[in-house]
Amino acid sequence: MIENLVTGFAAAFTLTNLLFIAAGILLGIVIGALPGLGSVTALAVLIPMTYYMSPVSAIAFLVGINKGGTSGGAVPAILLNSPGTPEAAATALDGNPMARRGEPVRAMKFALYSSVTGDTISDILLIVLVVPFAAIALQFGPLEYTAVLLFAFALLSGISGDNPLKALVAIFAGIFLSTIGLDPIDSSPRMTFGNINLYDGLPLTALAIGSLALASVVEQLFDMRRDGVDSGYVNQGANENRALPVREFLTYWKTILRSSMIGSLVGMLPGLGVTLAAFLSYGQARRASKKPDSFGTGNPEGIIATEAANSAVVGSNLVPTIALGIPGNIAAALLIGAFIIHGIVPGPFMLTMHGDVIYALFASMIMANFIHLGLGRMGISVWGHVARLPKWAVLPPVLTLCIAGVYLPGQSGFDVAVMLVFAVVGLAMRRTGFPVVCLVIGFLLGGMFETSLRQSVLLYSSTPGVVLGSPIAIGFFGLAVFILGRAVVRK
Amino acid sequence: MTLFTRRGAILALAMTAGLATGSTGAAADYPSKPITMVIPYRAGGSTETMGRIVADALGAELGTKVVVKTRPGAGGAVGATEVAAAEPDGYTIMFAASSSLLWPPLTQDVAFDLDSFQYVAKVTEYQQAIVAKADAPFDTLDELIAQAGDTKLNFADQSAMSRAYINYIGKERGVEFTGIPTKGGGEMVPFLLGGKVDFAWSGGVHNRYGDKIKVLLSMNAQRLLASPDVPSIGEMFGVSMPSQAVIVAPKGIPAEVVATLESAIEAATKDDEVVDMVTNKLMFPVAYLGSEAITAEISETAAGLQAVVAATQ
Repeated sequence: MIENLVTGFAAAFTLTNLLFIAAGILLGIVIGALPGLGSVTALAVLIPMTYYMSPVSAIAFLVGINKGGTSGGAVPAILLNSPGTPEAAATALDGNPMARRGEPVRAMKFALYSSVTGDTISDILLIVLVVPFAAIALQFGPLEYTAVLLFAFALLSGISGDNPLKALVAIFAGIFLSTIGLDPIDSSPRMTFGNINLYDGLPLTALAIGSLALASVVEQLFDMRRDGVDSGYVNQGANENRALPVREFLTYWKTILRSSMIGSLVGMLPGLGVTLAAFLSYGQARRASKKPDSFGTGNPEGIIATEAANSAVVGSNLVPTIALGIPGNIAAALLIGAFIIHGIVPGPFMLTMHGDVIYALFASMIMANFIHLGLGRMGISVWGHVARLPKWAVLPPVLTLCIAGVYLPGQSGFDVAVMLVFAVVGLAMRRTGFPVVCLVIGFLLGGMFETSLRQSVLLYSSTPGVVLGSPIAIGFFGLAVFILGRAVVRK
Repeated sequence: MTLFTRRGAILALAMTAGLATGSTGAAADYPSKPITMVIPYRAGGSTETMGRIVADALGAELGTKVVVKTRPGAGGAVGATEVAAAEPDGYTIMFAASSSLLWPPLTQDVAFDLDSFQYVAKVTEYQQAIVAKADAPFDTLDELIAQAGDTKLNFADQSAMSRAYINYIGKERGVEFTGIPTKGGGEMVPFLLGGKVDFAWSGGVHNRYGDKIKVLLSMNAQRLLASPDVPSIGEMFGVSMPSQAVIVAPKGIPAEVVATLESAIEAATKDDEVVDMVTNKLMFPVAYLGSEAITAEISETAAGLQAVVAATQ
């Protein structure tokens, strides 16, 4: 394997390749930082560009986009409290308070460093574990997914602070919204009111951008109008201590390591996705902390936990992709499309048939992390200037970008309308103390929860004993009950 | 007031005249502007990948730009609704799986029907099949049916239509299966290889798994390219699943425009890049058929589909 990797580095370490990686990361960061556009949109838009590249350059370029896009989303979350993607929503919880406290650059550095660290750890795990650990993905059937998701919901209810009950209500509202559309079992339309645009359910991006990013922008505009002055980002960060010594960053090694592991594990299981990793890790860091109340008030650990975990997904979700040809998430599915275009057949034989390309890909991923660190650092100084612009100059373009970002992928005015409706919903929830992120995550995972649950019922209703035969499912069910039970006892 | 009306009348006359000459002219000098090709699926899938390459080649043949517009939703029904309602002038066409055009009108409340489209050409055939894990205790459909008589078998489907066809087979042979819905090949494969289901419907993804997955039945009218020894549902049951990837236009498009498009598509399907993408990378056969032939084939498929829907719903 070491030998293969050395060959891989030799193949990947060319100037063209490095340039494509850098271009990918740069595009990824910029597109990820724009509200409404994330790495998935970036990949979808840029894949046709790779038709004319060599397979290794093409895939390195796309991996760069994926890496950059995941960390770029943190920038608007920290600076504007309007996360560009749902996966960066947890970053805003502590990142934005830190920025408002006058440390936007330090917050962004924390985000970048943990992003790159999480990514690197996950890449190493990918390279070492791709063959043996692929089998784990096959252990996970509908029963196990149902249990993991229940556990996730229980953990999430504790995240957004003080009122687990309100969080649970928001999560269930999200799950309820996810049932709009065609029934996953018999395809009959539910709550679509004859509108064909609703057959696939509410559009996720529109819902997330509307309730998270747009609602935040609108709220800030209202505040400006009420206060009459532009309290702005003018002074934010003007006199801050921008330094973040590596030693200070490393004092959080426990969180970094734990979050990278959580992200890597979630990434290995197809379908769970980046957002879940981010929130699970945030919740776990909060539970493990000696001062859980400091979370949400600008605790750098919150940023580290989120960013390390969501970037760790990027590497490890290629484990099922490369070992079994099963995409770990939408980004990996798009990568599979790119593999096919370049004549690499995804599937269990990818490593034996196209080992040269795969090991060159691994090498590119490792090199991409260093480039990512360098480019990210340069980016921070640019973003730092944005932090000093007045609000009236920043918010209107953000508003426009939200609308364009939601409209473009499906070229659908319906999506824009949904976004506007959910901006109002998000605003109402903010004012009444219901956590918006819980609504979004409930919606995001609700469809999968329903499908897994109903698949399990179909499969095992005649043989319920099977449930007892799955230690993974029992373990997660038990943890979910434990977490909820403890919340009740504490009340 | 009178002046206004008179001017209006003259304007209307002029416009009618202009339109009349314009429309005869439009068919003769077609195409005189870029053509929009709607692909009713998300970016990144095999149909969308194929569609973009076909659009490039088609544009080169016609001497204009063919602009791809993805309009995903409801398994293709959102894009189909849009195209059905578009102007039948040849400047809006669609590249789609025939199932997206045939299934929704029979089972859902949609604003298009079987007669909403002019079929222009067939480009390829999806390689649909019933598959099982390599070590499954049955090697043919008959052995599977025999086993289903003893224990109730589970299968992974990927759509209501794929479930309807498998249930139809069960009904014909007097056995019952339990369909477990999965979201596409990415979810079906782990279900099958992880042993959660006994067999599965596959839209072609099984081709990538070599000898880890075996084919029990072709769900197309004909046998599959990669499994010439395995019988097809057409041979055994006289019905078949819609398997065609087609280019269609709204009904009412002028015959000359259909002819122009048809010959350009035929040439595009011989383009090296298209052939390489379809056969070598996606592993589908290039299967060009002109407008008349594909219209006949589709009506045959639709008749079988109606029989299956009637028997299973």
